[in-house]
Amino acid sequence: MPSAVDSRATRDDEILAVKDVSYAYLDRFAALADVSLAVRRGEKVALLGANGCGKSTLLKVLDGLVFPDSGTFNAFGAAVTEQKLEDQQFSEAFRSRVGFVFQNSDAQVFSPNVRDEIAFGPLNMGMPGDQVARRVDDTLEMLDIAHLADRAPYQLSGGQKKRVAIASVLVMNPEVLMFDEPTAALDPRTQHWLTELIEELNGAGKTIVLATHDLASLETLADRCIVFNEEHRIVADGTPEDILGDRRLLLSVNLIHHHTHRHVVAGPEPGTQQEIVHSHDHDAGHHHIE
Amino acid sequence: MTATSTPAWLIDNEVGLCPCSCVGKRKKANFADKTIAGSASLLRKTMFAEDTAAGGGLLQRIDPRVKIVSLVGLLIVASLVHHIPVLLVMYLATLALAARSKLSVGFFVKRVWLFIPIFTGVIVLPATFSFITHGHIVVPLGHWFGHRVGLTSEGLWSAALIVTRVATSISLVVLLTLTTPWVELLAALRALRVPRMFILVTGMAYRYLFHLLDSVTDMYTARKSRMVGRDTDVVAGRAFVGASAGALFGKAHALSEEVYSAMIARGYNGNPRTINRFRLRVHDLFWVAGCVVAAALVMGWDHAIGR
Repeated sequence: MPSAVDSRATRDDEILAVKDVSYAYLDRFAALADVSLAVRRGEKVALLGANGCGKSTLLKVLDGLVFPDSGTFNAFGAAVTEQKLEDQQFSEAFRSRVGFVFQNSDAQVFSPNVRDEIAFGPLNMGMPGDQVARRVDDTLEMLDIAHLADRAPYQLSGGQKKRVAIASVLVMNPEVLMFDEPTAALDPRTQHWLTELIEELNGAGKTIVLATHDLASLETLADRCIVFNEEHRIVADGTPEDILGDRRLLLSVNLIHHHTHRHVVAGPEPGTQQEIVHSHDHDAGHHHIE
Repeated sequence: MTATSTPAWLIDNEVGLCPCSCVGKRKKANFADKTIAGSASLLRKTMFAEDTAAGGGLLQRIDPRVKIVSLVGLLIVASLVHHIPVLLVMYLATLALAARSKLSVGFFVKRVWLFIPIFTGVIVLPATFSFITHGHIVVPLGHWFGHRVGLTSEGLWSAALIVTRVATSISLVVLLTLTTPWVELLAALRALRVPRMFILVTGMAYRYLFHLLDSVTDMYTARKSRMVGRDTDVVAGRAFVGASAGALFGKAHALSEEVYSAMIARGYNGNPRTINRFRLRVHDLFWVAGCVVAAALVMGWDHAIGR
């Protein structure tokens, strides 16, 4: 399936690539079926699809956290396998270049306090203590969470936990940043802050891969969309404009639904009311598609 | 077109509780209600001493590493002392330290003495009887099987010695936990070369204990919000507890896998590392010197009194 984004890109630009990847949880519940995808340097890719279509699993494959039952995964020109990630040198090189922000911040924020949480990654990369401390301070400052530095995770709100989770990944300065449902369960202000941050990071040269079904923010979050159907296969690859404009595609993968409702409005005569019944397509964010 | 076909009964309003309250009867919260809410609240109060730990009192200003070492040293001294008056003076000193650390002395005393009768009392009670500790009977309890039985002065003295020693020791530990934020305590233990794995597991257990405690409370509240009428079905109650325990186990397992993935994703390879950011200051040295002098005086006095 040809990409709609940049046909001039060469294979050298491909930093992450999966080919014919299939994966099933407990060998029974299919999550990915013959998925092939190449992510090029500097792209902002959104994996779109209904719940349970395999977006998060693909992100985990791309981060070397789960390994495909069949197919291959290459990162930065080298094959990534379970055995290769057991090699400390390879593992450190890969982990420092790919960062993953989990959907559940509670799973990602596990250290006794925010400062230790942010320092966890660089310390594990073997960075000297004084450099780690400097980077932690810079990251706290950048994400405007310096005042939370000595707080414990249970003293943070959902939005603050998300900022800490992002800081804990950004501090490692990875080339590729992956976000699983970045805007889910966040208030509108934090959602806005996060979409701006993702845009800014991409502008600074980071490659972004994210799983979402937030169609409202899609044009800001991505410049390329990969659409999954509920059979765990990729069915489309294109720009946000192309994908959002393809109503039949969005309906077929259950990203939008068609419904009918009625509005009660003022009637032609003073003091009267009339009902208008109409139908339209609806996405998860309750925005009219047209 | 509707998204689902709504059954008719869902559209009809059903009679709920009579607004005049003439239906049903009031009942108190049941045992499980109180236990779950009580345990959650007690755990939070016991383990979250962040407000007192953040206060600007004497002990809060001491470096946590110094505090751990000095208080452990004083604990050893307390265990070596053999005279009640000396231990009582040490206990009074812990009260003075609590006051200087801006802790409520009443709260501090209650916290220490709450558990002593339960645990230590049960252990030392038999030792006060003449058939365990022989000696001069000061509280006669009659004759059992032809022998004179009662509480002996030697037994009571031993019991009082153990109780004062335990009270002093617990006071020292409570002083440490009430004046040191949990995270600082873990970091200080790490700085004192306590094995990393121990620190990591303790820290995560503490962190996720509350997360899971929230899940338990949520599950119970969700059940309660759907309950109508009396909750006297013991079998259903047991089934709920069993199902909740199973669900919680599943949640804990899923969470642990996710946490482990998050650690692996950031380069964790089984060797946890932390930042050591503590610095010794002059007042820490004064504190250490004071503890050494106090320990020497206590040991000297105890030795002078003799056994």
